[in-house]
Amino acid sequence: MSKILDIPLHVSYIQNLDKKKDFGYHLTEHLRLNGVYWGLTALFIMSREDALDRAEMIHYVKRCWDEEAAGTFGAHPGHDGHILATLSAIQIMAMQDALDEVDTDRVVQFLLSLIRPDGAVAGDSFGETDTRFSYILIQCLTLLGRMDVLDRDIHRLAREAILENIRGSMNFDGGFGTEPGAESHGGQVWVCVAALALLDRLDVVDRDLLGAWLSERQLPNGGLNGRPEKLEDVCYSWWDVAALSILGRLHWINRDKLIAFIIGAQDLEGGGIADRPGDWVDVFHTVFGLAGLSLVGYPGLEDIDPLYCMPAKVIRRMGIEKGYTALSRMSST
Amino acid sequence: MTPADALGALLGDDERASGSELDIFSVHNFEPGSVYRTKARMHGVKRTRVTPQAAEAKRLKDQAKIEAYVALQTEVMQRKQAKEYTPEALKRTSDLLDLNPEYYTVWNYRRHILLRGLFPSCAPAEIVNLLAADLRLTTAYLQIHPKVYWIWNHRMWCLENVPLGPGPDASDEPGSSAAATTGKEGREGWRNEFWKTELRMLEAMLDADPRNFHAWGYRRYVVRSLPASFTPKRTPQDELRYTQKKIEANFSNFSAWHLRTKLLGGLWEEMDPGEVKAAKDAEFELVTQALWTDPNDQSGWLYHRWLIGAAPPEDVLRREVKNIRELHETEPDSNWCMNALAHHCTLLSTMAASDEGEKLRLEARGLYERLEVVDADRKERYRDMAQRTLS
Ligand SMILES: [Zn+2]
Repeated sequence: MSKILDIPLHVSYIQNLDKKKDFGYHLTEHLRLNGVYWGLTALFIMSREDALDRAEMIHYVKRCWDEEAAGTFGAHPGHDGHILATLSAIQIMAMQDALDEVDTDRVVQFLLSLIRPDGAVAGDSFGETDTRFSYILIQCLTLLGRMDVLDRDIHRLAREAILENIRGSMNFDGGFGTEPGAESHGGQVWVCVAALALLDRLDVVDRDLLGAWLSERQLPNGGLNGRPEKLEDVCYSWWDVAALSILGRLHWINRDKLIAFIIGAQDLEGGGIADRPGDWVDVFHTVFGLAGLSLVGYPGLEDIDPLYCMPAKVIRRMGIEKGYTALSRMSST
Repeated sequence: MTPADALGALLGDDERASGSELDIFSVHNFEPGSVYRTKARMHGVKRTRVTPQAAEAKRLKDQAKIEAYVALQTEVMQRKQAKEYTPEALKRTSDLLDLNPEYYTVWNYRRHILLRGLFPSCAPAEIVNLLAADLRLTTAYLQIHPKVYWIWNHRMWCLENVPLGPGPDASDEPGSSAAATTGKEGREGWRNEFWKTELRMLEAMLDADPRNFHAWGYRRYVVRSLPASFTPKRTPQDELRYTQKKIEANFSNFSAWHLRTKLLGGLWEEMDPGEVKAAKDAEFELVTQALWTDPNDQSGWLYHRWLIGAAPPEDVLRREVKNIRELHETEPDSNWCMNALAHHCTLLSTMAASDEGEKLRLEARGLYERLEVVDADRKERYRDMAQRTLS
């Protein structure tokens, strides 16, 4: 098993994602915009953001705009607007420095329409709520430079209500669930911790308690799981590890073992990273594996910001960076 | 009856999802930026070597399937564009969802067909039939895709639209909450039937996968929203018994332990201090059983930590420190045991007189030093924690 990340192979894997139009490709149309975000972010981490055509990408994002149903972005042209697709669209446009081509007012209006009186945030007008959506709303508003709308007019209580809903989703183990009452889950922990960090309210979190819980997600094989007594999975190399980074507890896990686990999950023939060694790869686990590697200082990768899961240089350019602690980058030699 | 049989029993045979492709196309159960993974392979499916020739052969073989799928998708999207809210359109959304139950736009369209096209001209009993059919459909999908958010969402939407009745006032608009306030049993007959089905379905889902957090979440919703006249009444004690059953079946079911913390937290607020103490002692007994059964399972330790809480009575803390010391002697290599003991010793040191306090902090530091060696992956954490006992 190779000890090295095969960057050129992963770049070409991402470049070719759109080329083999098998049955699976058609079945995943409802994820296409998210897939573009995953691919572009992965390329940024590998310093190859030029590997996909910028103009074409921006054009595609704009075609995902759903004028009629929601006034926001859907996952693919013709698909309904949803907060999940909206975040991917805004993140792509931010990374491509093209946010001026987004109808910010309409998106903000859509986002505000999703806030429930109890501070829960819905994904669309049908109303399913989840702390993921709270985080997405806050990240979108931050990227758009419009967090001030949460302090204004009829929404002036929204910031506090959203905060209270997130706080209400916190459990005795220090972690967070999908809603008040739900079990702690590594993915939900990341979104809630990142949301609190963006709200400058990390004081809500017991860093030692949650840091310990997160560090216990690492299994003897180096991979991390999302909940007690579950299997490891490469994507938790992002959820859990990014949360640890935001909490300043990233040194509480074994970096070398995590690196070996992610590296071992590469497909060295076709490129890409799988959920665990030997499984089929996908762009989702590819980006989160790379992002985890970047955060723990794997050599030769670009810095990633754990609050946004976006390149740190983009966040710096936009002037919206907050605190976190990544591990220092190892030298390539 | 196996869980799968129980689920099957809830289905009409014709309602089972068709299409063998479904089992290789799975969603990821979590992702904030966008929920699912973009690949047509299930989590944990082993990679096999595929030559370009073999891949091309498969692509050609799949060509007809792809063409049929794309044609169906195009047709459904065109009908949606044309705002066609007819029974035929509904049927076509089923055909498409059979192949791809994650197509959220199609779920949205389906709900619009029902709300805008079919319900307005339906008698309440017909609405009930339509919703029951959608529940059967989603049951079939969940059997294959138990972690797809969109399917669970649609189920919840169905419940929210069950009309009042059968009965004289059955013409009330769907989703009206009037019944809850009038409490007239007859008007909630349909709702009671639906909720009963949900509880049965959930039992089967959680038997099949006792850690499925979608199912636990949906269960919280179903229990929270039971019709006012639902019998037998479901009390927090019933839910508690359910968690006990799950825990006894498998001590490492942390989902059940977690729910217990939520239920007991609420119940104890309504008890007098003596009752609370007795109830907590019973919990300590239950969790002690789990800890001695498998001291390396995290679930019991997390629950024990919750029971101890931030400010336990000193006598309880002393008792637990003593118990865990005993377990530590029997199981000297259990990390979680050492962790718990170190934590509780540190906590107790804040209550004890200064001599004893210093001894307890020393004991905690000793444990953290040992942990640095036996659980080296987390050695930095133990170093930090040992440092904290000095301040
Ligand atoms: Zn995963």
